[in-house]
Amino acid sequence: MPRPNFIELRSELLRSGISPTHVYRALTELDEHFEDLVDAGVADGYERIAAETHAIDVLGDLGEVSSAMRRQPELRSWAWRHPRLAMLVYPLACVAALPAVPVIAGVQHASQIARWAICLLVGGFVTALMFLVLQLSITPI
Amino acid sequence: MAQTNPPFMTGVPELLLLRLLEQQEMYGYQLVRSIKEVTDDAISLGEGVIYPALHGLERNGSLKSRRKAVGGRTRVYYSLTRKGKQRLTALQEDWRRIQGGISTALEVPAHA
Repeated sequence: MPRPNFIELRSELLRSGISPTHVYRALTELDEHFEDLVDAGVADGYERIAAETHAIDVLGDLGEVSSAMRRQPELRSWAWRHPRLAMLVYPLACVAALPAVPVIAGVQHASQIARWAICLLVGGFVTALMFLVLQLSITPI
Repeated sequence: MAQTNPPFMTGVPELLLLRLLEQQEMYGYQLVRSIKEVTDDAISLGEGVIYPALHGLERNGSLKSRRKAVGGRTRVYYSLTRKGKQRLTALQEDWRRIQGGISTALEVPAHA
């Protein structure tokens, strides 16, 4: 059954730093558009396979879709546009989320777990800072 | 299949999209059909290319979108914002000025 290669398009767009929100929405829209074209072809009396082949032609070259998205910097993810900030925020967010897991899991011993969580948070924060310093030391300016 | 016409297309899809969405909210497939209809098939796009244009217009605040489930399908409907209306007015003025200039140039006999 002929279908456009959306998987390759998805990988290409994500690798190019396009925001995942835009990538997944564009893929949903393209997939729905393809189905609409196929339905229209079948309604016009084509065999399903012929309608699908025609729909692929009408949808056009997915490489052009990819180029058109990559030409628009505003569609890039914020981490792509501000990589240094992302390097700071992502590790900190992960470290901050870690203590929340045991706190939520053990509500009965929340106070004890919270103490452990604070220790973990501080430890994690120090580790994240070390990673950040290491990362910045190897990132070309 | 009709050929696409990229050399004169700069800004044209944006103008058409904003103009069509000024009248009612639409989703991508509907917009492509409407473009074909209102331009009498004079403008032909690789249909998938409409989505990067729509996403770009949404990011710059000219459009807003909402998801709607229709008959088991997920449609993303686009509509014009106030900023989009202002952009449409500016584009229409630019387009009329260029169109007028080119019409004048075509009417003037070429110099030997």
